[in-house]
Amino acid sequence: MNSAPPVIALSAWREACLGALDRGGRFCGAYASGTGAARRWNALFADGAETLVLSADAGAADPPTIVDLIPAADWDEREAHDLRDLRFEGRESQRPLATHAPETASWTVPVEGRGTHQVVVGPTHAGVIESGHFRFHVVGERILQLDTRLFYKHRGLERAAEGRSPAAGLAFAARACGAGSVTNSVAYAQACEAALGLVPSRELRRGRTVLLELERLYNHLNDVAAICAGVGFAPGNMAFATLKERALRLNCELAGHRFLFGTVAVGGSVLDLDAAAAGRARGELGELRADAEAAWRELAFAASFQARLGGVGVLSTEDASELGAVGPAARASGLHIDTRGTSPGLWYGSAFAPARPPAASGDVAARLEMRAAELPVTFELLDDLLSEPVRPGDAAAGGSTGPIGVARVEGPRGETVCAVELEGEHLGRLHLRTASYANWPALVHAAAGNLLPDFPLINKSFELCYACVDR
Amino acid sequence: MFVLLRHLQRVRREAALPPRSGARSLAVRHLDAGSCNACEHELTATAAPQYDLARFGIGIVASPRHADVLLVTGPVTKRMEGPLRRAYEAMPEPRLVAALGDCALGCGVLGDRAELAAPLEELLPVAIRIPGCPPSPEQIAEGLLTVVRAPLDPPAGRR
Repeated sequence: MNSAPPVIALSAWREACLGALDRGGRFCGAYASGTGAARRWNALFADGAETLVLSADAGAADPPTIVDLIPAADWDEREAHDLRDLRFEGRESQRPLATHAPETASWTVPVEGRGTHQVVVGPTHAGVIESGHFRFHVVGERILQLDTRLFYKHRGLERAAEGRSPAAGLAFAARACGAGSVTNSVAYAQACEAALGLVPSRELRRGRTVLLELERLYNHLNDVAAICAGVGFAPGNMAFATLKERALRLNCELAGHRFLFGTVAVGGSVLDLDAAAAGRARGELGELRADAEAAWRELAFAASFQARLGGVGVLSTEDASELGAVGPAARASGLHIDTRGTSPGLWYGSAFAPARPPAASGDVAARLEMRAAELPVTFELLDDLLSEPVRPGDAAAGGSTGPIGVARVEGPRGETVCAVELEGEHLGRLHLRTASYANWPALVHAAAGNLLPDFPLINKSFELCYACVDR
Repeated sequence: MFVLLRHLQRVRREAALPPRSGARSLAVRHLDAGSCNACEHELTATAAPQYDLARFGIGIVASPRHADVLLVTGPVTKRMEGPLRRAYEAMPEPRLVAALGDCALGCGVLGDRAELAAPLEELLPVAIRIPGCPPSPEQIAEGLLTVVRAPLDPPAGRR
């Protein structure tokens, strides 16, 4: 990982990407870096604990598209076109992603036929929801095609981080997403440490794992509440909102912030729990677990709620794989990928096994049950980690240094991939590809063919973030 | 379901919330102008049984046309400036703008200047300021309750 990847000629680009797939790699992002003659188009492939970086020379000519080989690269190419002015040879269409072209036809898929019409929603919504624009092409109540336009919240975080020190760049990754702040911060910190040749201590690995699991806990409780809200089942929504609130209060008690902001540093961790504090946390987590299990049992017997979940918003295993889905959504569709099992920089160990869904049916029911199946794993991990004090950790020099560092970290919604390119002592490029970014195309695909009134439910079953997609 | 409802009643009892006061109301329309989503999480939490702002007549409404307050989060991105202005224009008068969180208050904003419009204060008249990153549900309650509890303006003179 630490030596600069060899630059691949454009004529060999597609073959190189195919080769990475053939060797068992999983595409996990692509980004443009550099300017002028030094411009590069980089693709990332996950392979166990390693991440393969392929780098194409895009200084003189447009790279060929790989979207026909790897559909999951669609948004990456469209983003690079809009934000980094890169064009792709051989793409059938180059619909805008981040650029908000005024003509609707430029970014929507044409849908024609008798009785078809569009239902337009957003960018502002009727509740407390992030900003994003949806165009449903429907016939009657049936969704034929969904076109999304995101990036309303684009703040230019990646560009704004360029030229800063690795320590100062952390804030840009951390504030990309409030609910994935720990995941993105740890991914950023690990990417910087990989580039700087820093090796995390045992305490650092443990501390970060505690923070990551605390983040997963409140997010999973939130997501169950959100799915209940998606069908208007207020008792379930409020029951899990109450549990989430308790998890947030525990975060504040343990780390001084309800969303764990400011707990992660490059080469360090500030989480400091003595035996008494860790013991109290275990006690509270034990109570929370019992109450979450009781509330979950009640949901299982709420027939009007359960009747809404099966067979809705189905994402097949093949589609999940083709579109590059990650996290609980991918696992609910039968893809057994969980980066926690291949994270030597954290404290999951080789024995870690991701929870398996009761039925990998890929529908709303499976995505809901996936969260419920993962909660006990998180409670067990936290109970184990908090059985001894958690001390601030650090990272020591010892690894090899290099201009590029990449890290992948499993967050509540799946894997965040962070790539950092250093120029001297400063950030030349920061690229953050979160699980929400990976899963939006899968959500859009899963919505087609369903009833329009089921969309809020399908949407909530993925519970994707807009902020970290838009950045 | 009844078990869940009983459980929620218990949470409300144990939270020992102060009694509701007065008989006034505030219709709030939320608008995300580029937040990190943490403010939205905390705003949602104000509806949870531990806070339950509906007790004070404070409710989130679906349209700016029904709103007394436009509650804005985020630093106002270029792409959200238009929707923000349109939402404000759609509101009936009298109307108030509330800045929720440090980004909306223009404090410590992160991002590329070319992608951000202007601080909310420069775009719309901000009357309510709720600082925090993100503000806690208590701080949000406190900020909105100052409006609910403020003395009513005397009726405007007839023309």
